[in-house]
Amino acid sequence: MANLAIDSIKDRTFDAIVIGSGASGSWAAKEFTEKGLKTLLLERGRNVEHVKDYPTTNMYPYEFEHRLEMPYADRQKNPIANRCYNYKEDSAHFFVKDDEHPYIQVKDFDWIRGYQVGGKSLLWARQVQRWSDFDFEGPARDGFSVDWPIRYKDVAPWYSYVERFIGVSGNNDGIPELPDGEHLPGYPLNAVEDHFSRSVKQHYKNRHVISARCAHISKPNPIHIEQGRVQCQNRILCRRGCPFGGYYSANAVTIPWAQKTGNLTLRPHSVVHSIIYDETLGKATGVKVIDANTKEEMEFFAKVIFVNASALNTNLILLNSTSNRFPQGLGNDNGLLGKYVAFHNYTATISAEYDGLKQYRTDGRNPAGGGYIPRFRNVYRQETDFLRGWAAGFGASRSDVQDTSGVGNTLKEDILNPKLGPWRVHSHMMAETIPKVDNFVALDGDQKDAWGIPLLRISIDYDENDRKMRQDYYEQMTEMFEKAGFTNIRTRDDNRNPGNDIHEMGGVRMGHDPKTSLLNRWHQLHACQNVFVTDGACMTSTSTQNPTLTYMAFTARAANYAMDEMKKGSL
Amino acid sequence: MNRRSAVRTLLYIAGGTLVLPACFRESGKATIDLINFSISEDNEQLLAELTETLIPATDTPGGKELLLHLFVLKMVDDCHAPEEQRQFINGMEQFETWAREELGTDFKGADPESRTALLSRLGESNNEDLKAFFAITKRRTIQGYLNSQYVMTNLIRYELVPGRYNGYAPA
Repeated sequence: MANLAIDSIKDRTFDAIVIGSGASGSWAAKEFTEKGLKTLLLERGRNVEHVKDYPTTNMYPYEFEHRLEMPYADRQKNPIANRCYNYKEDSAHFFVKDDEHPYIQVKDFDWIRGYQVGGKSLLWARQVQRWSDFDFEGPARDGFSVDWPIRYKDVAPWYSYVERFIGVSGNNDGIPELPDGEHLPGYPLNAVEDHFSRSVKQHYKNRHVISARCAHISKPNPIHIEQGRVQCQNRILCRRGCPFGGYYSANAVTIPWAQKTGNLTLRPHSVVHSIIYDETLGKATGVKVIDANTKEEMEFFAKVIFVNASALNTNLILLNSTSNRFPQGLGNDNGLLGKYVAFHNYTATISAEYDGLKQYRTDGRNPAGGGYIPRFRNVYRQETDFLRGWAAGFGASRSDVQDTSGVGNTLKEDILNPKLGPWRVHSHMMAETIPKVDNFVALDGDQKDAWGIPLLRISIDYDENDRKMRQDYYEQMTEMFEKAGFTNIRTRDDNRNPGNDIHEMGGVRMGHDPKTSLLNRWHQLHACQNVFVTDGACMTSTSTQNPTLTYMAFTARAANYAMDEMKKGSL
Repeated sequence: MNRRSAVRTLLYIAGGTLVLPACFRESGKATIDLINFSISEDNEQLLAELTETLIPATDTPGGKELLLHLFVLKMVDDCHAPEEQRQFINGMEQFETWAREELGTDFKGADPESRTALLSRLGESNNEDLKAFFAITKRRTIQGYLNSQYVMTNLIRYELVPGRYNGYAPA
């Protein structure tokens, strides 16, 4: 399909073009194709077909040459990829290697990428939480970035729409700042997670420890069976790709769904150079693509273009889409394209032990990973000397402890007969960062990649607000741990670079005013309304939630709006 | 790579427990292909004896049968930094001498009890390379053992597909 010579303009013309086949792009493709639009889905990397292209998925640990450890030579060659927690011997083939796709770090930034069909939806942490108006109203209330042009009520039905389709396991906890959703049964907390949850509830008014909500099928509905998926089998080998379709990935869910309609043309190995703007028509007419292998240049055309190339690459494509009308990049009349980039601050963890509940242990594996602590700082009013707040993951586990001190029969006996260790608890911070004009990406003036596209310069850093929040996380979590009777509490600075959180956002932010934002409330470029951005690049602020669910809901909402407008003839 | 070592490497990578036919054991050069360093057949056999001393055959296989020495070599070759490889090689060279001084005979010729006792007091040595060699060997031997197909299918079963989670299982 993808390799056929397509020579006439007609054959290269579609109703819609979607750039990027990850979680958000594949959602656009699903919406368009389901409703009859001939859709071209462009992906710069190779194809990854569900199950067939998961080479490691059923391998046992002893079948890996290095038992999942990355070899020294690879660690030296790819330090950025190796700093990602998920880059291991069973998943390395789904990651971009450092030297394959260079970028310029004005400041240290770990850009973690997955260039293949499905993108990073094969590798994500699958944590999904809705935003509330406490998040959407943040910038306006606290005086940073610009006001979001949408509110929770705009997105709520689309959250439901997406959740029902992908399958989200979680409880409805009745917490205003973390709205309930269309959930499959939640994965219950374990004995010590429950204990912590009760303790927090007892000691604090507005703090909660809930079962983490995750994009796993705890109990399939008919729609999931129709997608060819079954109940999650608790393997927790998700980064290899799941043969059961137990979690949401574009590969397992939205792409095959779009393919079934017969309306999808999936084109891997298609590096998008730029979006073509027609000054006479006053809108975009298509995209310029460079074949990743042959370097052949070609053009594809459509009425509507969705840019879902992942946050920073979406910025790059728009910046590189220059014309007489837009010399600074498509839609960039105000010069703000690429600016106000933000991310999530993951630089703090805390751990401890618990001496109680020794009658219990865990059995099997929990795909949700344990508990989630929604943001409680500065929710109802400003109460600290830093802006916004943090959410946190929380988990308790009890593992086998092996005495390895001996030699010979003693050693053999000891390691084959491990003792059940104490309960250990662990939490990591997920903090909002404030978008700033000096956290930006831009095109390099000289250096280009192998496809003739300028390299991206990335200049992003932490600030004082981030450092204050880290301190607050340590103080509050320590207090909460102490109240729960945890001992041996240890805080740990996780000095990861920005980007390693893999939640980079912004640069093409939404807003009411074309003078201060790039996108309107329907994700259209203010100045070029048949181009939509619904991936992380559109984010006006970051809040603390894991963002993918919100991107998918935004995409479904915007795609359906675009189709309504096309029907009216206004696009 | 000659055929013999290719077959052996293949069997080893497949993670299989195997009893090598005599022709393999008596072969002149039977080490797995290493990229960053090489060792003599004598030293390979020494390493095999060492892993066997660490994890001896009982009613279940020990280090030699599970080819743990080859796992140790593979990991040192591929996953350790050059400095650690240097310490490993130097430490291995010194181990034989040290063992002979301590035991009055060479390590391979000593009885299992003497070997076990010797390794138990290796921590007292002031020789950094020797200690590094032993620490690496022991860590990788334990890792190779617990992650071997034999142990993971017969002794401590690894579940690829648990299909369950219970947060209140009885301890």
